[in-house]
Amino acid sequence: MKNQFDYVIVGGGVAAATLAKGLLEHKHDTAILILEAGPEIIAKDRRFWWDYITRGERPYTFTYDQKFEADSTGNIDYQTDGVRVKAYGGSTMHWGAWSLRFRPEDFNLFTNTGEGADWPINYEDLETYYNDAESFLSVCGDDRANWVPRSKPYPALPFEWTAADGEMIKAWEQLDVVYQDGDINPGVTKKIKSGKMPIARYRKCMTTGTCKYCPIGGRFNAQYVLDDLKNDSRFINFEIRINAPVHQVNTSSKSKIESVTYTDNLSGKQHTVIGNTVILASGAYNVPKLLRASKNEFWKDGIGNDYDLVGRFVVSHSMLNVVGKAPSNPNGWFQEYDFPTLMSHSYNTKEHQKKGKIFMFKNRTTPNVDIAQLMIDGKTREEIDAMVYGEMTVNIQAFLEEKGKFNNRLEAKPGKDRFGLPQTTVHFSRTEQEMKNANDRLKLLEQIIEKMGLEITSSRIDKPGGHHTTGTARMGTSPENSVTDKFMKVHHTDNLYVCSNATFPTGSAVNPTLTLTAMAFRLVDHFINKQPKINSKTKNVNKRDTIQKFLSGESHKIK
Amino acid sequence: MIGGPVCNENLSAGLIFAEGQHLTYQNKEALWDIFEAIGKNWSNTIYDSNNQRSSWYEMIKAKTENAPNYSGEYVNAIYVLNELYDLYGKEEAFKKLFFESGVDNSAPPTTRLAHCKIYVVNEFIRMQVTAGGFKSWGTKYGGEQAKNYHGFLGGTRYNRIPKVRAYDPDTTNLKNDQE
Repeated sequence: MKNQFDYVIVGGGVAAATLAKGLLEHKHDTAILILEAGPEIIAKDRRFWWDYITRGERPYTFTYDQKFEADSTGNIDYQTDGVRVKAYGGSTMHWGAWSLRFRPEDFNLFTNTGEGADWPINYEDLETYYNDAESFLSVCGDDRANWVPRSKPYPALPFEWTAADGEMIKAWEQLDVVYQDGDINPGVTKKIKSGKMPIARYRKCMTTGTCKYCPIGGRFNAQYVLDDLKNDSRFINFEIRINAPVHQVNTSSKSKIESVTYTDNLSGKQHTVIGNTVILASGAYNVPKLLRASKNEFWKDGIGNDYDLVGRFVVSHSMLNVVGKAPSNPNGWFQEYDFPTLMSHSYNTKEHQKKGKIFMFKNRTTPNVDIAQLMIDGKTREEIDAMVYGEMTVNIQAFLEEKGKFNNRLEAKPGKDRFGLPQTTVHFSRTEQEMKNANDRLKLLEQIIEKMGLEITSSRIDKPGGHHTTGTARMGTSPENSVTDKFMKVHHTDNLYVCSNATFPTGSAVNPTLTLTAMAFRLVDHFINKQPKINSKTKNVNKRDTIQKFLSGESHKIK
Repeated sequence: MIGGPVCNENLSAGLIFAEGQHLTYQNKEALWDIFEAIGKNWSNTIYDSNNQRSSWYEMIKAKTENAPNYSGEYVNAIYVLNELYDLYGKEEAFKKLFFESGVDNSAPPTTRLAHCKIYVVNEFIRMQVTAGGFKSWGTKYGGEQAKNYHGFLGGTRYNRIPKVRAYDPDTTNLKNDQE
């Protein structure tokens, strides 16, 4: 068995897929090994799909953290179960494919608010890589939307708002949600309009539902990419080993990473593989646990942890939920797609950042009537007809941005999970001010439901959770304030990189996957020794000015 | 509970073991009668469900040629049907099965009848509705016609974006049939 590679990548999700594809397409005989702790869940399988349709079963849910494998402490429960897929393909096996960019202000949270952290790069540094990521994932979106500066159009057309979105859109218009101050300095530039959810369609999504298990590979998942790479005869030195949890990163000096050690879960044997470069691409849970577990004479507290920062600054999204009902639904409205089509743009001013930006959307399943369940329960056609046009429920939801705090920390607890990875504890608390901010935000959602003429039946702030966890090995400008540098290389090492949500100093209020993919493209560029396209935090560049002009309405599109 | 000694014979709740077994042509035709009756009893099909026949066959194939094998459940359902036909006649048998079975759909199935309802009838209903059976709902009051049930599968064999009822903010008429 080969045991020496140019690159050893830990984790088999979207970051690994993007990195491997980029590196292999640049140089076909690059030796790359991907080590994935979890098993393979077969994608595009008709039987799995029919079981999903007829029984609601999804084949990957058994890989979710169970309560005994991941828990939390603090003044609020942190949801750790059901949030991440531990399998070949990673969490893209179950993601919703929402593909939103962060906005420029998200990279300067500390500068703008005095809280959280800044990124060591700016939006402009990532903008062209966002284009690459959108092209790679085939993101469909609305080119007429002006909520974030972009230099290329979306590669595919957006899904339309559904008729069921209409009343909420009207309510947003009345409450000035549709048009928001578009600039970090309110009132200076033109307004930003609410929009259509960008979705990663990849190989041309052709359906309106069953997104949680796609029978045709329409919704992007990393497994398709990795399978293609495995089957490409040009890439003779590319290998993936599944059921292979890595539990140690080994060094030959403070700066030189030599190898990683993993266990083959099927044989129980340990193996050590040498990598000229080692990339931890295993998500915001496993990266900090692996770094801290990798203690040696050079790194007494774990690699990258000389300043006790690894695993700290856990950032999550809180979900806000308001449900309303109407006595009847004369148009028989349904949310026909199985994903949201209506979204607000995140609130972008410094004041909103201080309070925590929100990103609102209509729940992907409302309004809805489960006709099949009513039939199963023995309701007649006439009874079901009455229900289809009867009481209607609408749910508006929002992600609320949270900021990394030193004491919010993710770490290993004793014992292994079913896949040989260390079990997890998340220490997480919210401050009274954060709860107040969340409640204030909730009021806006309630106003929207009331403006739609609905009676509020439920209004709540969900517990934080691990769906979008970021920040646990964050990027920064020095070892004193961060774990990695601006290219996601662990400080004081020569060849250990982290390509993971763990490096994000902030989480904005939107889903992180597109940004992670863009970061992976940027890292590929770094590896193949191309000059990074822009580096605006170290020098001023014209592109930033151009983007500012775009934001101010002086230029319709960046050329 | 409806039915006689066959329907009410006790079974363990798990899937009836049938690895290596196959359905005959006659078995499939007998099962198709259930699927067709679902459409008729809820007035929810066109062409007597024949527009869904190929999809249904594909599902049966997937459920009987891959583990866990449903052949045992399907054969059991035929036993149950035969008894119900004898007791009530074919048309009434389906009404009893769909509307008056007395089976608790959320409990583990411990009789032949419950196995038939939960592993066969209920799954056929899900398939029938989500695979395009929404066609006849959404037209009441002469209102807008919904095109897709949530979780509709109709697009999976076609190289096009299935149309939905769309909201067009530039028109006051929300009807936006674009087909």
